[in-house]
Amino acid sequence: MTDIVTLPVVPLPLPSDWKKQDPSLGKSISRESPLSSASVSHLTAISITAFLERKLIPVGPAYLAHVRRTVHDLSFEEHDKHVEEEQKRLRDLEQEGFEEDDLGVGDEEETEELLSLDPKEWKKQDHYAVLGLSHLRYRATPEQIKIAHRKKVLKHHPDKKAGAVGDSNDDAFFKCIQKANDVLTHPEKHRQFDSVDPYYDLLEADVPTAQQVAKAKDPNSAFFKHFAPVFEREARFSRLQPVPLLGQYTDSKEKVEAFYHFWYNFDSWRSFEYLDKEVNEGSDNRDDKRYTEKKNKAERARRKKEDTARLRNIVDVALSADPRIKRIKQEEKEAREAKRKNKSGGPSKEQVEEERRRAEEEAKAKEDAEKVARAEAKKAKAAAANAAKKLRRQSHDV
Amino acid sequence: MALNGQIPNGGPIEIPSSQTVIGINFGNSFASIAVITKEGLADCIANEDGERQIACAISFRGEETYIGNEAKPHLVKNSANTIIGFRNLLGKRFSELPKDRPTSSAPVIQHPDLPDTPAYKVQVLQPAPSPLSPAASALATRTNTPAASQVATPRSEPIPAERVLTPADVTTLFLRSLLQSAEDFLGKRVDGAVLTAPGWFAPEQLDALQEAAEAAGIRVLQLLDDSGAAAFCAAANASDGASETTEARPDRTQLVVDLGASSLVLSLLAVRQGLFHHLAPPAYHADLGGDAIDDRLLKFFAKDFTKKTSVPLKVAPASEALDMRAEARLRLALLHTKRTIAASVGGVGGSAATCAVESLKDGLDYTGSINRLRFDMEAAPIYSGVVARAGELLQRAGLDWIHVDEVVYAGGSACLPGLDAALAVHLREDALTPFVTGTVAGGGIGDPTTVLARGAALQARLLAEINGADVRVRNAFQRGSKLVGVQATARTIGVLFPEAGAEGLGGQWIGGIQAETTVPARRTYALDVDLGEGAEAGSRRVGLEVWEVKEGIKIDKVKPPKDEDEEEEEEEEEIEVKEKTIEKEEFLGGLELVARQARKVGKRWRTSIEVQFLLDGKLEVSARETGQQERSTLVLAVGP
Repeated sequence: MTDIVTLPVVPLPLPSDWKKQDPSLGKSISRESPLSSASVSHLTAISITAFLERKLIPVGPAYLAHVRRTVHDLSFEEHDKHVEEEQKRLRDLEQEGFEEDDLGVGDEEETEELLSLDPKEWKKQDHYAVLGLSHLRYRATPEQIKIAHRKKVLKHHPDKKAGAVGDSNDDAFFKCIQKANDVLTHPEKHRQFDSVDPYYDLLEADVPTAQQVAKAKDPNSAFFKHFAPVFEREARFSRLQPVPLLGQYTDSKEKVEAFYHFWYNFDSWRSFEYLDKEVNEGSDNRDDKRYTEKKNKAERARRKKEDTARLRNIVDVALSADPRIKRIKQEEKEAREAKRKNKSGGPSKEQVEEERRRAEEEAKAKEDAEKVARAEAKKAKAAAANAAKKLRRQSHDV
Repeated sequence: MALNGQIPNGGPIEIPSSQTVIGINFGNSFASIAVITKEGLADCIANEDGERQIACAISFRGEETYIGNEAKPHLVKNSANTIIGFRNLLGKRFSELPKDRPTSSAPVIQHPDLPDTPAYKVQVLQPAPSPLSPAASALATRTNTPAASQVATPRSEPIPAERVLTPADVTTLFLRSLLQSAEDFLGKRVDGAVLTAPGWFAPEQLDALQEAAEAAGIRVLQLLDDSGAAAFCAAANASDGASETTEARPDRTQLVVDLGASSLVLSLLAVRQGLFHHLAPPAYHADLGGDAIDDRLLKFFAKDFTKKTSVPLKVAPASEALDMRAEARLRLALLHTKRTIAASVGGVGGSAATCAVESLKDGLDYTGSINRLRFDMEAAPIYSGVVARAGELLQRAGLDWIHVDEVVYAGGSACLPGLDAALAVHLREDALTPFVTGTVAGGGIGDPTTVLARGAALQARLLAEINGADVRVRNAFQRGSKLVGVQATARTIGVLFPEAGAEGLGGQWIGGIQAETTVPARRTYALDVDLGEGAEAGSRRVGLEVWEVKEGIKIDKVKPPKDEDEEEEEEEEEIEVKEKTIEKEEFLGGLELVARQARKVGKRWRTSIEVQFLLDGKLEVSARETGQQERSTLVLAVGP
């Protein structure tokens, strides 16, 4: 609605004697602000011809705009603002709708290096980087891989570049994309590639040592800082999920034990087929093939062994540097100490007192009982003597 | 631990797909349907018979019902059971109808039950009452012992019956078939439609049309004035940039010529930045139209037939049964002839169109041809009738032919190039017509046969996009809305840049707000102003005077340029040359600006300025240099 009509005419300069004048008839109130040359003239006596009554045909967007202005009592400026806002909202909505289905794949710009990849060397390429998934890597879901592939294909399909002047090696990167897609969409190949993901090579080499932790200002937090990402990284190879992670300093003994137990018995799916030497396709020499296969197999086993050893080493180092182990040992020691102390210190005074009193009482009771028993026995004896005497007397009498 | 496949992104949000809407042009003789295509353009679609121009005809024959173009041939043999021209009877009382019109279709009778209602009586074959269905009979056997066979009992022969249909019933039947065609084409349900209705329809006729459409299962979004649909479609095309040749000004006067088969409707519209209003009540003439052209052509071909075969044939009107049959056949064949003529690009004397009828009369075939020149000669009375009626309409609006900036054609007969040629004689040279812009040929955007339906479809899309909660805005499109009542300026207001030694008005005139501009209005113009050669920086100024003016016509009589090749000495006739003139009516005030951003172009200084007219209860004219904030403003009241 803010259409500005640009007119092609160029009026000539004013006559030199032209003066701004107000209509001669009537009194006109003309105010000129002295501060600026801008002026507002209110002419009350002069008016334009009265309006006519007309009936619009209710059709078209202009009528809709007219109705909106009338119904909501908006001025032209206010309505313009509304229209702008509405358009912006619609645009945003459209854009949101567009981003909705890419599942966070996003758009990664390809570097020069990436674009100049040779499809023949596909084993060496970083498939995630080629598909623009280097921010997700092994976390990328099959759906995300599919979307990323589509995006890249749309951008790099040779048909798209057909008209452009360019080198003959035009579709090299497209082939790389296809290869990357082949690898990442095949579950087994995907697993094999993830096993030897080049991105993690350097990270794996950089394992923190016990000294590193010990030398740090705050060895406790340094341990967790250094080792937590290592275990998080290694966790992806576990067949068992979820994997217990390093945790924190205050973890209980059971938890820490469970952690080390798990990691010493780590069941890894990592394998090294991806690094196999190619079996020479050209030769039909069976022995050749067998030989290569054999070597590959041996190599795989060696690598696997190395990897297991590597992981074990990490866990060893971690165990040795773990401040929690020290803490737990300390706690256990203290507990034992306390126990021993208890044994050597003997009963307390009150207990002694108590015991003594109880012993006394017992003795007294015993004595009483003995007394009673003795008296009883005496009585019985006397009675028996009496009876014997009586008997004797009787017999004497007889 | 981020497990593989556990990235929380949320599911995709379902964006509600927009409603499916269509536009239906429901004329008295032909109808058409338009949909919005994937590209967002309105497109007229063909029905299942491949016809974009669907004849408004229904024929009953036995158990069958024929709707559309396939019903038309039945006018020949089965005219008593064929109904045409029913739209104009909608909402009418029987007593209002003229009784003396001869008709080639089923006669209009008084409805046997309803008082004062027109109706058609047709003979049909009604299917005999169906015997008990196997399911029902199975149910019966459970209680009644004799076991029935599982074979369905064959139906009896259908029985002849009489069916009485009101025009509303016929309309419902017809519109339902249109809706079906649209849904078949789109493959989904239609949520709403805009129907065109003639501007001269009385409220009760509009009510009847709406009821009939609702009964056919159409949710009527709006009953749109024919001229509005045509104007909107033309304006939408111009603003879409679809036709680059059309440099349609936002403020223009438009003549809508709707020449259908059975009537002529002329409307004169003021188009003011997309708002349309009638400058004079639209003129409806039932005596001009394609049928009138047909009548003249019929006579032409009948004469030709008689000449060729010496068999007498009297048509238009025909009195004998044989002649009537021949007329009906010839009329059907003419459709093709007219289309060929309309599509011919050869101009006058170009390709000829044929008309062929087998066994026209007495078992004799007829094949004749007519060329463009001959055709235009035959149709000339109709063309001149249209021109004369348009002249009358302009007179009623107090305007002249030269005020018409644009002509929009609608209706099947408006495709004829001869009509445009007849009108062009009177129009200004720079007036735009679809033929001038070349948008008629090949089903272009200015195609008169589809323009109404497409306008209706565009309007339907507009209505579908309105926020549903805004009831007041929605209601503004319903009939009888008070919001259509507006005020419009009576005179053109503009600014005059005074120039030294200029003649006439005394400077450069720029019309800001044209007469008949609806209130409120805002117009902004940007232009460059020449400041002269060597003025001091402070004294470079721009001055303008605001005037209210009267637009007039100056008629000059000029002698035509002498044609040197002409050998005959002819009496030289003077030609009238009309020209728009502007007369200063009232001086409203002056505005002055000091140019601060002047730049040198060649030897002279120039600056760009913007002049804004804001009309809303009062008129505010302001001028400023482009990019500067300070304005020189003049505020004027509106007189009583």
